[in-house]
Amino acid sequence: MYRIKKQDFSKIIDELIKTGNRIISYSNNGNDFKRINSSNELSINSNFKPSKLSLKEIVFPKTEPLFYYKRTNDNVELKDIKFDSEKTIIIGAKPCDAKAFSTISKVFNWDYKDNFFNSKYENTIIIGLKCDYKDEYCFCNEVGLSQSSKEGSDIFIELDGDDYFIYILSEKGKNLFQPFMSYLIEEIKESKVDDIDKIIDLNKVRTWITDNFDSNFWYSISQECLGCGKCAFICPTCHCFDIVDENYTYFEGRRMKNWDACQFGKFTLHASGHNPRDIQAKRYRQRIAHKFKYYFDKFDELLCTGCGRCSRECPVSINIFDVIKEINAK
Amino acid sequence: MNNLYNIAKDLFSTNKVDLIIGYKSIDSKRTKPIFVSSNEDVDHLVFNEYSLNNLSVYLTRKDIKKYNKIGILAKGCDIRAIVQLINENQIEREKILIISKKCNGVVKDFGLEYNEENIAEKCKSCKVRTPKVFDLMIDSEEEKKLPEPTISSRVNELDSMTPEERFEFWRNEFSKCIRCYACRQACPLCYCERCIVDKNIPDWIESSPTQRANFSWNLIRAFHLSGRCIGCGECERVCPVDIPLSLLNAKMGIVTFKEFNYATGMEIGEPTLVGNYSNEDNEDFIK
Repeated sequence: MYRIKKQDFSKIIDELIKTGNRIISYSNNGNDFKRINSSNELSINSNFKPSKLSLKEIVFPKTEPLFYYKRTNDNVELKDIKFDSEKTIIIGAKPCDAKAFSTISKVFNWDYKDNFFNSKYENTIIIGLKCDYKDEYCFCNEVGLSQSSKEGSDIFIELDGDDYFIYILSEKGKNLFQPFMSYLIEEIKESKVDDIDKIIDLNKVRTWITDNFDSNFWYSISQECLGCGKCAFICPTCHCFDIVDENYTYFEGRRMKNWDACQFGKFTLHASGHNPRDIQAKRYRQRIAHKFKYYFDKFDELLCTGCGRCSRECPVSINIFDVIKEINAK
Repeated sequence: MNNLYNIAKDLFSTNKVDLIIGYKSIDSKRTKPIFVSSNEDVDHLVFNEYSLNNLSVYLTRKDIKKYNKIGILAKGCDIRAIVQLINENQIEREKILIISKKCNGVVKDFGLEYNEENIAEKCKSCKVRTPKVFDLMIDSEEEKKLPEPTISSRVNELDSMTPEERFEFWRNEFSKCIRCYACRQACPLCYCERCIVDKNIPDWIESSPTQRANFSWNLIRAFHLSGRCIGCGECERVCPVDIPLSLLNAKMGIVTFKEFNYATGMEIGEPTLVGNYSNEDNEDFIK
């Protein structure tokens, strides 16, 4: 672990901007994030609440072309996408956001290797920041994280007066900071483990979900759900997408990969007209089961980092943590 | 005493309703929609300045329509949506029992303290704070003066822009759209079983959140709601990327009022704007 002066950290950022890196930082109120062009625009604040949209769009944009096509007389010409090699460096990701990247990386690399995701993820360096924000919607501690978890971060920083403590965690992080090691002062700090009070038994939750697929509970907790996809779209780990062809003319077009959400009524509508998830309760069950059971069964990880965005922003105040607590109490 | 608890209790005991759609308190500054189907749960019901949701959005839902008689808590603005749904033949007046109160405005969003600063913009220019259409009124405070509205000055500001500047303003706003359709889902008048944006043979509106398709979506929605939007502002409140949709809706409202002297959802039985033709209709705008 190292110590670095804030002004030296800013110098490093300016240097990284100069050498052509794309630096992402938060806005002054922490509600959103953007590319910055100077360290003066940096906004590193451990008290920010999670931004409205999560950082996932950096590796999984809301829309992106997969290829372009052109019909000729008896042929179809395809044009591939050139992947961008620009490095993206995210400054100040919360532990709940940083972790999400490695979580969704599993599904994008499980069977088919998704190069659209990978080309961006490989070029993304995540500088995590110890979090000092907590409200009634946060529950990172219940899903195996904490305000100082470093999982998913390549570099992790903690505020300490006019300095930062800085942890270099991955090969990517090491390479990034290699030219700047002279700014860092090595230090040994007793690492304090966060006190984690857990009230949820995730094994129990999982078992209950497995055994109660047809329970009325799903209906009772989702009756007010409007079926808008807001929760999924702002979630750092929801990763469903739809693939559509868009024609510019009869002869030309492109194939697009767009965000999609299991909360939409037409998400599972078959061409036959049959819809296996025909009511909102089944769609809400899918949301909970995917996050707390299916993903865990398959990848040994939860598909939730406890950021609380979905609950904080739900138009009808459905609170995912309350739902999990209710299941836990059964 | 006409408090909510007594009214609701009485409605169930006398079998006047099978269901009450209302609000339940979650903390001091939040409520959520609740569906009460028996006497047992009526003590959860609240109706206060944190009762934000326009519950009429549920009235067109299949699982709600199966009830014979539905009680619903509705603020003056929400009642306009109910009236409009009745006028559009989506729900039957006889099946709906409207429980209302005099309203002194609600907060902009959950979690905010009720005070002058945090009162929702729509409330400041509301003409139905004391509702005109209802079945039962609960005891409520008299109307008090709310802060001056700013929405029309914001609309004027946009009107005074050049078309290029205005286009740039909306281009900027719509570029944020992620096409989650929360605006549509929260809207009581967006009840189409199959929204135009879900039609893909042919693909009328591309589903990709690109500039072109975002323009199509947001403008089509505004057109589909002109003369139908009652200004409850739920679309803007639920938008995760803060697109000022109420500016679009307010502009449409101003135009329909000016051209056709039409205000949406004020009176039961009034012909709808687009569903009605009259020889006296203003045609000045046809160029």
